[in-house]
Amino acid sequence: MERLLALWAESLGEERPDGSTLRDYLRILDVVGVLCPFVEPVRLGLCTLPLRGPSRFFGGDEAVFAAVRHSVRDVLGLEVSLGVAEGLFCAELAARQEVVLALGQTTAFRRAQPLMALGHKELTTTGRRLGIYTVGDFADLDAARVAERFSAAVRVLHRVARGELPELPGQRDTRLAARLHGARGEDVVGDEQAGFFGQRTAGDDRAHAAAHRVRHRLGPEGVLVARLRGGRVPEDRATLTPWGSPSREVRDDAPWPGRLAGPSPITSLHQPVAVELRDDTDEPVRMGARGSLSAAPTSLVLLRGSRRGIVWVAGPWPLVERWWASERRRAHVQVLLDSGEAMLLAAEGGRWWLVGIYD
Amino acid sequence: MATLRPVTLAKSRIVPLSEPWASLTPGGGLRRGSTVVVHAQPGLGGLSVALSLLSEASAKGHWAAVVGVDDPGVVAMSDLGVDLRRVLFVPRPRGAWAEAAADLLDGVDLLIVRPPSRPSHGAARKLMDRVRERGTVLIALTEPSAPWPLPVDLSFHLTSSRWIMSSRLDARYVTLRVGGRGEAARRGEHVVMVPDAQGRAVAR
Repeated sequence: MERLLALWAESLGEERPDGSTLRDYLRILDVVGVLCPFVEPVRLGLCTLPLRGPSRFFGGDEAVFAAVRHSVRDVLGLEVSLGVAEGLFCAELAARQEVVLALGQTTAFRRAQPLMALGHKELTTTGRRLGIYTVGDFADLDAARVAERFSAAVRVLHRVARGELPELPGQRDTRLAARLHGARGEDVVGDEQAGFFGQRTAGDDRAHAAAHRVRHRLGPEGVLVARLRGGRVPEDRATLTPWGSPSREVRDDAPWPGRLAGPSPITSLHQPVAVELRDDTDEPVRMGARGSLSAAPTSLVLLRGSRRGIVWVAGPWPLVERWWASERRRAHVQVLLDSGEAMLLAAEGGRWWLVGIYD
Repeated sequence: MATLRPVTLAKSRIVPLSEPWASLTPGGGLRRGSTVVVHAQPGLGGLSVALSLLSEASAKGHWAAVVGVDDPGVVAMSDLGVDLRRVLFVPRPRGAWAEAAADLLDGVDLLIVRPPSRPSHGAARKLMDRVRERGTVLIALTEPSAPWPLPVDLSFHLTSSRWIMSSRLDARYVTLRVGGRGEAARRGEHVVMVPDAQGRAVAR
């Protein structure tokens, strides 16, 4: 999404017992904070700042780099490595390698990294045996295969490798803010710096700072942003991605024949909930091979056990599409319940799923 | 005081609304620092009404945040006219909804909150005070099992909703009662179509 400037001070990466590491790190934050109020501490030795505002303010990326280098050198006598990329995972790697990536180059950079960069020994070893040497190779594995073979921790790394998550779990030191707070005796993040980079985008900068705060509180998937892409049904067209993850801007202007007509559900379940449809003799209602229902459904059973009466059904609208290599068959129906609630259900793989609610 | 310019001031103190909402509210918009409640039985249109209130403001460059709405229907929001580029979602704040809301207050002009449980008097008071201080607009989406515990500036109570069907769901009429303290303009019951066949909110 946004380009992050990462600042890596190798000598501060390992904490010395005399407490000087934390003090020096704090001074770096102060020095850089004067240049850009949105500097974010990540962990000892590493901090980041969104590059867009400062770059406009100082007149270009190079000017920002020079200003940061100079002030850190003047005040602390330290040399720092700078790097720019989208998302914290790549920004840190970029800093360690002193690489500056333009908008859109992050994906290729990420894919070219050795698998080791994900910091998981077992994955690196297993990967080598499977002939998977780079983050890109790993990203290309099917998510379902990864889920079968590896632990939950590796599944998260897979999402990082694919660019779906901006940073590694544990990349941030969650106790750092409290330590800095203690060392300084006050708040780490300054408030009310709106308008610093000019009136026009003060609102944008303020919103970004707020998103930073919430992400700090709730973790990397705490704040999401929405994107629309092509697709026939609402659950395919909408994506919510963690704020700060690299944007893959996809235009939604291509015509999609067979798109579900009429209003879309205002609640679109990102993890569909399994449900059952029953007819008036309490038999399960199935989707027939010819695209028709085996009987008229009269009740909806949520698998938690609660049962709701159905007063009206529309559809089914069958949908066949190529999904990777295999064919994916789905059919959608709309149901209106006796409570007045309307829902969108999908039949897939012999089951019914609640995919949307028209709240 | 003499240097204040009342006209510009009055203008910037309102966050704009689109129709049909503009004609239901005093000044045709939401006053900064005010709290609005959208109250409805779950599933009967409250979420559509609340999110629809973001459309005009987001299109005009105001930022908004949505806290506690688990699975926002992004396509439906776009159809309602919401500019998704300026909306932040905090879908599952767990126990920290009030803290997350407070974090966001400084950064956005409109903040929708759906409290996952009955909000306490204290939490509501604190949030409303902060909203007044920061000049944000708070929109609380509540339901009968977890009502907003304090009086608010403007409220939309959804009293009934009715779907229009053909071979599919076409549109929904929502009846709402407008209320609130002070000068809430068009008190009384109004009927709004949300969504219409194109997914928009329109006056009947």
